[in-house]
Amino acid sequence: MGEVLITSALDGLLIGVIYGLAAMGLTLIFGVMDVINLAHGPLIAVGMFGVYLLFTFLGINPFVALLIMAVIGLLLGFFIYFVAVNRVIDAPPLSSLLSTFSVNMMIIGVGTALLTTSSYNVEYSLGSFEFGFFRVPGARLMAALAALVVTGLLYLFMYRTRPGKYIRAVADNRASAELMGIPSTRILALAFGIGVMLAVVAGGLIATILPINILAGGSFELKSFVIVVLGGLGNPLGALFGGLILGLIEGLVPVVMKTTWVPVIEYALFVLILLVRPQGLMGAKK
Amino acid sequence: MALLEVHDVNSGYGELQILWDASMSLEPGQLTTLVGSNGSGKTTLLRTIMGQLKPWSGSVIFDGEDVSKLPPYTKADLGLIMVPEGRQLFSSMSVRENLEMGATPKRARAHMAQNLERIFDIFPRLAERADQKAGTMSGGEQQMLAVARGIMSEPRILMVDELSLGLAPVLTLDLFMALRKLRNEGLTILLVEQNVRMALKVSDYAYVFNEGRVNLSGPSSEVENNEEVRRAYLGI
Ligand SMILES: Nc1ncnc2c1ncn2[C@@H]1O[C@H](COP(=O)(O)OP(=O)(O)OP(=O)(O)O)[C@@H](O)[C@H]1O
Ligand SMILES: [Mg+2]
Repeated sequence: MGEVLITSALDGLLIGVIYGLAAMGLTLIFGVMDVINLAHGPLIAVGMFGVYLLFTFLGINPFVALLIMAVIGLLLGFFIYFVAVNRVIDAPPLSSLLSTFSVNMMIIGVGTALLTTSSYNVEYSLGSFEFGFFRVPGARLMAALAALVVTGLLYLFMYRTRPGKYIRAVADNRASAELMGIPSTRILALAFGIGVMLAVVAGGLIATILPINILAGGSFELKSFVIVVLGGLGNPLGALFGGLILGLIEGLVPVVMKTTWVPVIEYALFVLILLVRPQGLMGAKK
Repeated sequence: MALLEVHDVNSGYGELQILWDASMSLEPGQLTTLVGSNGSGKTTLLRTIMGQLKPWSGSVIFDGEDVSKLPPYTKADLGLIMVPEGRQLFSSMSVRENLEMGATPKRARAHMAQNLERIFDIFPRLAERADQKAGTMSGGEQQMLAVARGIMSEPRILMVDELSLGLAPVLTLDLFMALRKLRNEGLTILLVEQNVRMALKVSDYAYVFNEGRVNLSGPSSEVENNEEVRRAYLGI
């Protein structure tokens, strides 16, 4: 029993890191510009299929493909920002919900037309690692490590570099940032680009460990919302924490209950947190 | 030649006109003050100069160039810096980070380390609090930081809106002295102040604003002795 628990917990934590990474993109964008990006799920799917296609047809190593997709994600984020977000950034929240939802529909539409909704696999294995009595699939371990590295890099970027500080300054007080020479529109585009990049990278990592389909991003988007509420809206480190909790639930619940209980417990927790601690377990920005 | 000229500017919010043919000019190296009753449009004039509000007509000329249509961040890069009313700090960022953000214009970034040292020299309190979040400092400390952040931008013109609002007299005096010192080092300053008496004492030139128009202007010593000003603002 003890061994099963530890193995399941570890499994859950490994996938939880990736959930956290996916949620980070959503929470970063919200924290900086108060926009809830409803295209988040499809953008995760873009990452999944980007890595799949680069690997399957060009034979590029999935982790190299991930770097390529990160750059594409950033550029795609700039593009979406200027086309769909910038003009509604000061409008009431419904406008940006609708415009990002339109982006969602377009990506899903094009994706379904080209790829159908069937399932694909990245045929890539890294064997497995043994630690004493438990075994971890190598791909999962790599994916979790990569997610941790990306989280660390995001943190360094936001707190140690000038562009990262500009993003925090614009999030804090946009008018003031402009007064000292910070071009706030460009900085918002950068923040949106990084948020999309995180979603794409998370999707790419998921593709290395799970079967994918064009709609699969949706369930991760839902998880992202739960995580974001757990960790505090607008708080990237909180997202990592929330991801770990969600991963633990998914790892441990099946040990004692039917797997079908997992979402029930997740969403019950979601509602509970909203009721008793709406600022999230880690506190919140505002 | 004046470093900044405002020519017959009309401006306001939406349909509501606040400024009516407002004109002023700032001579290089001088400390100019702009006084006027609450709601007379001083902040609106500063916002229009910075480009937060677009002038409906008229022009803003900085160093011989028409900058009327430029956005605030471009003006900041040119050296036109405003310390806004109500401080507007980055309250979730540290004191040091606020100062770093001040050093965004290209010239200022090159000299950030020296300027930071200079700031910590003028305001030792900020050095003690360098790693504290700006939003958790006292009102007076926040005002110091707001001015310091403006200086970090290496302004060619520093505009300060309501320097003394809500500050204890001792601190107000300190800040006035700090501005005076900067002026003596050659900085061009525009100071908007409630404390008319003090503003007229430290400044070289003064504009008196009333209902969005310049009512009166002249060397501060003359304005100080103007009958109307004495009655309306100095309570004599
Ligand atoms: N955002 C706004 N929208 C509409 N009207 C505004 C806005 N900001 C200011 N006003 C109005 O413009 C007029 C001038 O305001 P402004 O802030 O320029 O005055 P001020 O001289 O700076 O006053 P104070 O000394 O109180 O700071 C006021 O009547 C004010 O109500
Ligand atoms: Mg004002």
